[in-house]
Amino acid sequence: MAGDAPGRRSLAETVIGAVILVTGVAVVINGRALAGGQSYALVGPDMMPVVVGVGLAVLGAVLLWQALTGGYRNGEPDDPAVRGEHPFVASAFLWVLAGMGAQIVLMDTGGFVLAAAGLFVCVARGFGSRRWLRDLLLGFAIGLAVFLFFVRFLNVNLPAGILLPVLGTAGL
Amino acid sequence: MAETLAQLLNGFGLALQPINLFWGLLGVTLGTAIGVLPGIGPALTVAMLLPLTNKLDATGALIMFAGIYYGAMYGGSTTTILLNTPGESASVATALEGYKMAKNGRAGPALATAAIGSFVAGTIATILLTMLAPIVVEVAIAFGPAEYFSLMLFAFVTVTAVLGSSASRGLASLFAGLFFGLIGIDSQTGQMRFAVGVPELQDGIDVVVMAVGLFAVGEALYTAAYQSRLTEQVEKIRGSLMMSASDWKRSWPAWLRATAIGFPFGTIPAGGSEVPTFLSYAVEKKLTKHPEEFGNGAIEGVAGPEAANNAASAGVMVPLLTLGIPTSATAAILLAAFQNYGIQPGPLLFVSQGELVWTLIASLYVGNVLLLVLNLPLIGLWVKVLEIPKPQLFAGILVFASLGAYSMHQSVTDLLILTGFGLLGFGMRRWGFPTAPAIIGLILGPMAETQLRRALAISQGDVSVFFTRPISLGILVFTALLVVGPIAHRAWRRR
Repeated sequence: MAGDAPGRRSLAETVIGAVILVTGVAVVINGRALAGGQSYALVGPDMMPVVVGVGLAVLGAVLLWQALTGGYRNGEPDDPAVRGEHPFVASAFLWVLAGMGAQIVLMDTGGFVLAAAGLFVCVARGFGSRRWLRDLLLGFAIGLAVFLFFVRFLNVNLPAGILLPVLGTAGL
Repeated sequence: MAETLAQLLNGFGLALQPINLFWGLLGVTLGTAIGVLPGIGPALTVAMLLPLTNKLDATGALIMFAGIYYGAMYGGSTTTILLNTPGESASVATALEGYKMAKNGRAGPALATAAIGSFVAGTIATILLTMLAPIVVEVAIAFGPAEYFSLMLFAFVTVTAVLGSSASRGLASLFAGLFFGLIGIDSQTGQMRFAVGVPELQDGIDVVVMAVGLFAVGEALYTAAYQSRLTEQVEKIRGSLMMSASDWKRSWPAWLRATAIGFPFGTIPAGGSEVPTFLSYAVEKKLTKHPEEFGNGAIEGVAGPEAANNAASAGVMVPLLTLGIPTSATAAILLAAFQNYGIQPGPLLFVSQGELVWTLIASLYVGNVLLLVLNLPLIGLWVKVLEIPKPQLFAGILVFASLGAYSMHQSVTDLLILTGFGLLGFGMRRWGFPTAPAIIGLILGPMAETQLRRALAISQGDVSVFFTRPISLGILVFTALLVVGPIAHRAWRRR
């Protein structure tokens, strides 16, 4: 556990254990509300949710107990980040997430090509690239190539968005 | 046996037709090129290329996917040896010795033993697949819901059995997968379960979206957060690619032992190739005459895991083709490719679409040869692929990964789910939860539930159906032994 504050780590583990436990209980409660079909086949649509929910609850409880009594048990993890040797770079993480967000926002209105360009430029920025104009053009070119390949060759429709007048009614 | 041979020869006739040979060649080349990229394994490679099923005919596409599957496996080992960045969990064991060999200027022999070992193991394992498949089909043709359910139970136990020291987290991952499998319309009664009012969730969570989210998006988030500020050095290949006489002498037995370890592990759902590769590494470390070299670049430590990896990949094909049960994430996505054509793998497939199956199996042999012929001469090209800078590499990976998830239903909701699974994948990686059991849970959970309820509906609620049918009973007894065996063994040793 070198590097990382042990207290903070087991806080995260405590939260994870608790979330799994609560999810399990919620799955059981929601599962039991399902009904029908039992008469003939012994088990209905509620059987599996109850089994899965109980399983999650038990595992959540075990993980919670482990977290509260000195952390997860598995010896030394082989991943340096899990051992806390690499620092968490929040900006990089958020840029990648922002890329996914940009893609989701741009897909329906802006169209696939712009969504791909937006995703590309944000992710590249997250990984430390500073030449955003070049990345934007590169992302745009990749998006355009994929768009044309899918629409013209595979007959899979991708949204053209605001570029519809330029791209035309490709594929139709 | 003679009948099998005739069908296989017929399959070869079709697989060697120029057009099918072309798809095979395209598959192994694409597979290797994409597999070489750090962070992309075979599951993701196949997922990204799934949209191609819209255009190609079934035989051509499946031959290509088989090529991609084998190629991506191979490509991963190049990355591991030269960059020490395992592209997938199956390559982690190779990294231990392979990267050390490359650092010592022995990258050539390391790549050669990986390539030739993959060929040897892949070919032997494909022969085993050819012999085993008809036998399994003969038994499985009589399978009813009771047998399938017992088989699923066996699968869940094996997944659990290989989790090892982090059992609680592996099981949590499995149950999370089972939970995601519950979402959507219940196939027996039509009731909606856990869809929280989102219409797009009616059909359940797609395995492709979940796998791409956990692997590609999760990996990108993880790498960005923890490794984007590190610099990595691609090791140069110095000297000859040739293996010396002593390299050969040390590699041969490792390849064969690894094949014997890898193939059976591939046929059971033990979370892919990770376990057999580590097992092979441990065996080689124990048996070697050069223990001092282990940790500093022992060639057995590359030959074994790489061969085990490929043998397991062929082993995965046995339950996939004969029972329709995918035992790894990649197999689950291959199953999706089959289903895009309305083809349901299983014992009946050998009867109804025998020609397609045997062409596919023949193309596995052909793919192995193509990989051997292509890879070593083209190694310079693969190294170039490795030199793509990380920002643009991961940006490109995410564009294609999102495309794979989006293009299935053209739904932005899928992209939201994809991002959600990306965050989950990041968290699982960060806190040491294995992702493979979650995927297995998502695939096998609904299958097991359906078979259980079908079996009980047929028997009118009589549970004894699982114990009175001999094959089902046999599977259950075997499963019970698997559970009780290790416990009894431990108790015995403690005395």
